[in-house]
Amino acid sequence: MADLDIKEKKDIFTEEFLINMGPQHPSTHGVLSLELKLDGEMVLECTPHIGYLHRSFEKLAENRTYTQFIPFTDRLDYVASMNNNLGYCMAVENLLKLDITDRAKYIRVIVAELNRIASHLIAIGTFAQDLGAFATPLFYCFREREKIVDIFNEICGNRLTYNYIRIGGVQSDLPKGIEEKIKNFIKYMRSKIDEYDWLLTYNVIFLARAKNIGLLRKDIAINYSVTGPNLRASGVKRDLRKDRPYLVYDKFEFNVPVGVNGDAWDRYKVRIEEMRQSLKIVEQALGSLPQGDPTVKTGRVHKPAAGEAYFRTENPRGELGFYIVSDGSAYPYRLKIRAPSFSNLAVLPELIKDAKIADIVCISGSLDILMGEIDR
Amino acid sequence: MLRSMNNIITGILSLIKGLIITFNNNFTSATTLQYPDEKKAMTERFRGLIDLYPEKCVACYQCVKACPTACLAMTHKQTDEKKKITNTFTYNIELCCFCGLCQQVCPTGAIYMNKIYEITTYERNKLYINLLNPEKYDEWPHTSPK
Amino acid sequence: MFTLLNLTNMITTGIAVLGFIAISAMFLIWWERKVSAHIQTRLGPMRVGWHGILQSVADAIKLLLKEDIRPAGADKLVWWLAPFFVVVPSVMAFATIPFGKTLIPKDLNIGVLYILAVSSVCVLGVFMAGWGSNNKYSLLGGIRAAAQIISYEVPLILSMITVVMYANTLSMQKIVESQSHSWNILHPNLALAGLIYITSATAEVNRAPFDIPEAESELVAGFHTEYSGMKFAMFFIGEYTNLFIISAIATTLFFGGWKGPLLPGVIWFLIKTYSIIYILMWIRWTFPRLRVDQLMGFAWKFLTPISFLNLAIAGWLLL
Repeated sequence: MADLDIKEKKDIFTEEFLINMGPQHPSTHGVLSLELKLDGEMVLECTPHIGYLHRSFEKLAENRTYTQFIPFTDRLDYVASMNNNLGYCMAVENLLKLDITDRAKYIRVIVAELNRIASHLIAIGTFAQDLGAFATPLFYCFREREKIVDIFNEICGNRLTYNYIRIGGVQSDLPKGIEEKIKNFIKYMRSKIDEYDWLLTYNVIFLARAKNIGLLRKDIAINYSVTGPNLRASGVKRDLRKDRPYLVYDKFEFNVPVGVNGDAWDRYKVRIEEMRQSLKIVEQALGSLPQGDPTVKTGRVHKPAAGEAYFRTENPRGELGFYIVSDGSAYPYRLKIRAPSFSNLAVLPELIKDAKIADIVCISGSLDILMGEIDR
Repeated sequence: MLRSMNNIITGILSLIKGLIITFNNNFTSATTLQYPDEKKAMTERFRGLIDLYPEKCVACYQCVKACPTACLAMTHKQTDEKKKITNTFTYNIELCCFCGLCQQVCPTGAIYMNKIYEITTYERNKLYINLLNPEKYDEWPHTSPK
Repeated sequence: MFTLLNLTNMITTGIAVLGFIAISAMFLIWWERKVSAHIQTRLGPMRVGWHGILQSVADAIKLLLKEDIRPAGADKLVWWLAPFFVVVPSVMAFATIPFGKTLIPKDLNIGVLYILAVSSVCVLGVFMAGWGSNNKYSLLGGIRAAAQIISYEVPLILSMITVVMYANTLSMQKIVESQSHSWNILHPNLALAGLIYITSATAEVNRAPFDIPEAESELVAGFHTEYSGMKFAMFFIGEYTNLFIISAIATTLFFGGWKGPLLPGVIWFLIKTYSIIYILMWIRWTFPRLRVDQLMGFAWKFLTPISFLNLAIAGWLLL
């Protein structure tokens, strides 16, 4: 009875309310749906719902030959197609125990690093957009990305889904004169990154919005198996290009930028620094590009011996792993994709403690998740 | 007090720096194109719609086998000299993912990808192309670089 | 008394003001798109007329022809009235804005007070839109708008009072006259007041970096998420009219109003006003948005104390 009395006396009461942010929302980066429980501006609970972009790529792979699946990897992380091609082809080559030529390795490094820059540009641009710097940094980032896309268009003939890296090498050798264009781009890009520092990185409003927001502690990051720039921003120095060098990454000199606090600003800053390092790698790779034929002649249909292979590469968003089981036929028996964004999204509910609605947007933007990869 | 004054000054300076950047960009030339009037020239290797030289085709079915989305369908005729020629060859743009695998496997270079990239139509059946028809792409907007 | 001459006078003034508002809002919308485009290395509207100058007309026609959708469960009356509560006060505020020596609809002797009183009604319209839409995003936007506009009214009024103290009058025309020798902005005391005024006025009209009520990336479109067609256009016109008004007040209070050499007063007034508008647009397309608590903190912990201090110094200097 006592309880009832209190309830009746309370004529003004507050109520939490549920809001479905997404899948149609300006800043959920694709078709991510966040179920938020709000108390005014404060967020009490955040549950991400995924699956709006599910295309069952892993099952589709079982009915495709090894070569036929490469175009599908383009559509996983569609802003970094080259890196996806690379991860998949390396996994298949591991399964086939195929060695590729030196020139192919260098070309792969160049396109992968250029694509990393393009991907980070989108991450930075959309992050700034989420913080309300309406469209201007995004347009600048896209202006620079356009130059990379033009280079890729010349190299492989497509602007988004490249399908350039193939099993045993690459689609075709670099076209004539492209090296000069890449060199010009490196010079141009360096000055533009400094411009971003002026426009965004040390802007007082940007700092106020991104500093100490969405703190991701080291141990939590490792427990959730967060990888990529998000992990490095938390202070863990882990980069597969350095720790388990594949291709020819051990021949290049570059640093692994590491953050201090693991907040949204650190994640942004790590990406900015990584672009600088990628430029450095591309420059070195261009300088020591060996001559010769980039592609190893292989049969049209690959029939690896029964067995399994797992290969992981450092994608712009983290560790991308392909696990392939072969039963000796031309089709993979099972193919599993370990997508970095999937783990990176899983940590989101941990980060929203005491966050406001504006911070949710900031945090999910700084994690740089991509739905194509999460839903596969 | 001194520190907070310093913070305020650096804050204002950072804002002014940002303003300078955006103001300077006022004077750079536009990076966008006025699309229907100006069109971007596509590169040598551009992968547009699939096209065919029917006389070169030997009906080997390599492209049909290579296609990951089964957008190509072919039937053949056996001529007297034990030589195969294509009877029908249809291309479904709805399914095509522009990967270029068919172009790569073709032993005679009969199948290739042209430079058409404006591939929107109002009618669905326009997306089913008979590759043996020489006038198949006449209606489609061909890119004419400025 | 109320004569026929008075009536015709009122009607012509009314038509002139309304015509100016419509043209100015359309021009500002086009101009904003051009400014943003050039900052973002684009060209902006280019198709309708010379450099797309008639784009706003085309947009207005489109908005007029659009279906007017009312969300289910909306509070009909509140939802329907909200756009008018945004537009009407901003039109009313034109009554005391001096475009030139004689070009002023009505030189009230309490002009400053009148403008402040009238423009405060805007928040009601925004809140009504947020409440009446039956949409959670709109509600959040409306609550944010109410909190923000009321908070920023304090430093806004305090900075305007500083000017009033120096000019010793509340009439807009007399404030302009008081700046015959030098602009108010050149006086250190009033320069600070001017900066505070511009900052809080930007927040008053919900422009970036203080645009949290409509924060696109958070609240979709904030309080006007559910509005379409002409009602949306009303909000748009209200926004740009408000933008013009705050710049016009800034011109009058701090930049010498219509006073200037050679050219006629009205030209000087428009040049100054549109320059201020350009700066506000430039700021909008450069900076990220503040968070709601930072915004309130900025108003109460920074701007209000500083404007009080400024007011006290002004009082001390004048004594």
